[in-house]
Amino acid sequence: MLRVEGLSCGYGAVRAASDVTFAVPERSILALLGPNGAGKTSTIMAIMGHVDVHAGRVLFDGEDVTRRRAVERARLGVALVPEGRQIFADLSVDENLTIGGYSFPADRDRDKRERVFALFPRLHERRAQLAGSMSGGEQQMLAIGRALMAEPRLLLVDELSLGLMPKMVDICIDALLKLREDGMAIVLVEQNTARALAIADEVCVLSSGNVVFAGTAHDAREDRELLTRFLGMTERRRA
Amino acid sequence: MFYVDLAISGIVFGCMYALMAVGLTLVYGMLRILHIAHAAVFALGAYVTVLVANASGSILIGFIAALIATPLCGVAIYRLLYQPLLHYRPDVPMIASIGLLVLMQDGFRILFGEQGVTFLKNPLAIETVDIAGITLNLAQIAVLIVTIIIFLALHLFTTQTRIGVAWRATVSNPRIAASFGVDAIRVRYLNFAIGSALAGVAGGLIALLNNFVDPTIGYVVSYKALAIIVLGGLGSVRGTLIASLFLGVIESYGTIFIGSYLNRDAIAFLALILILMARPQGFTGARTA
Repeated sequence: MLRVEGLSCGYGAVRAASDVTFAVPERSILALLGPNGAGKTSTIMAIMGHVDVHAGRVLFDGEDVTRRRAVERARLGVALVPEGRQIFADLSVDENLTIGGYSFPADRDRDKRERVFALFPRLHERRAQLAGSMSGGEQQMLAIGRALMAEPRLLLVDELSLGLMPKMVDICIDALLKLREDGMAIVLVEQNTARALAIADEVCVLSSGNVVFAGTAHDAREDRELLTRFLGMTERRRA
Repeated sequence: MFYVDLAISGIVFGCMYALMAVGLTLVYGMLRILHIAHAAVFALGAYVTVLVANASGSILIGFIAALIATPLCGVAIYRLLYQPLLHYRPDVPMIASIGLLVLMQDGFRILFGEQGVTFLKNPLAIETVDIAGITLNLAQIAVLIVTIIIFLALHLFTTQTRIGVAWRATVSNPRIAASFGVDAIRVRYLNFAIGSALAGVAGGLIALLNNFVDPTIGYVVSYKALAIIVLGGLGSVRGTLIASLFLGVIESYGTIFIGSYLNRDAIAFLALILILMARPQGFTGARTA
């Protein structure tokens, strides 16, 4: 589904990540991990088309989209749940979902909206409310729902659990698992390493813009040095 | 009834300010540029309305011509002046904008003369009707009706159509809107086209009210519109509407009570200074866009 080959990206001349390579097949979750400032968000935003690519390629379904604008990638089936949620605060929940489906004909909105409401009944209760007035967890649901309106085959999730109550985190993680079951490819950036390792199929760990680990989640969970050195996990937290 | 008359004439002026200032606030909300040259688009609307109305013999055709000319002018200003300057600090496009205003005002002076132009036939400014004891001329009624229709249409457009919602989404967060397929460049064109069309209508209406257009018509209105959008809480359409009507009414009463010391524009700016000293964040309090 998604292949990232030797991707170097950044803002202007400033390099944020170098020579990143990974692949995400359909029906799988790749966890993109690493400390703050490792280049995770930049990598995700480069896949979406918002960050300058200095070298390497982004392939979507075998097609090279490295030079395509974000607007075009959205039409191909790439959707973003951005860092800090970034829902449209001045728009209602319904209107946020409308924008989610903007690349596709309006007559498909209804069915997709029903599916989002089935996944997050809370959003249905709040559909006429201004998005900015909702709680963080509800906003995260909306950010995911908005992305689902874009009929994604590849979902890019930047910080799922940051600032959310544990119950909300569970709801959002369950949603991702359901989406994977439906065949979606998911790239997940996540601060909560234990949760991410528990659900991911593949793992890519960045540190200072470089890949320090790439492999299966199973191997990552067994790699004690990786866990303590780059992912800040202690023995106690692993247990 | 005298005070009611005053309030209504104030509201009529407030409507003009609102039509003019909404374009400014829309541009500011989207690009964070103070679009001073908007006043020149407004003047263009006034000139086109009068000249085409005189040439064709129909005021309606004059307005239609203004509705064609001003969006084109606004979009051209965005494409040729602002787009190449967007990467610079916001004061760079603003200075370019002031330059364009001066250029266009002088252009009007050279092309259409220092003395200005008037409608050859303007029955609307002369004929009056009495409604419940209040006397209004037809031009004032036209201003009220047109403004109500335009703001209702704008409201429906931005809440009931997909492109209207996309427009608001782009104002809210252009990058994320683009991630979902909303083309920010197209939305900007739309923004300038609609804002400029409203200014064009405002220009035509003020020509109708005053039965007169001269090259300086844009200057005072542009200062007032800038103050209004600050008062309305930069970027907020609703705030702009409230601030415009408020200012129109203040001016109207002011001319009666202190009009012998200060002229209409001085009263308006005095009121703006006092209000902004008390409420620097404007009426609505927060930046809503």
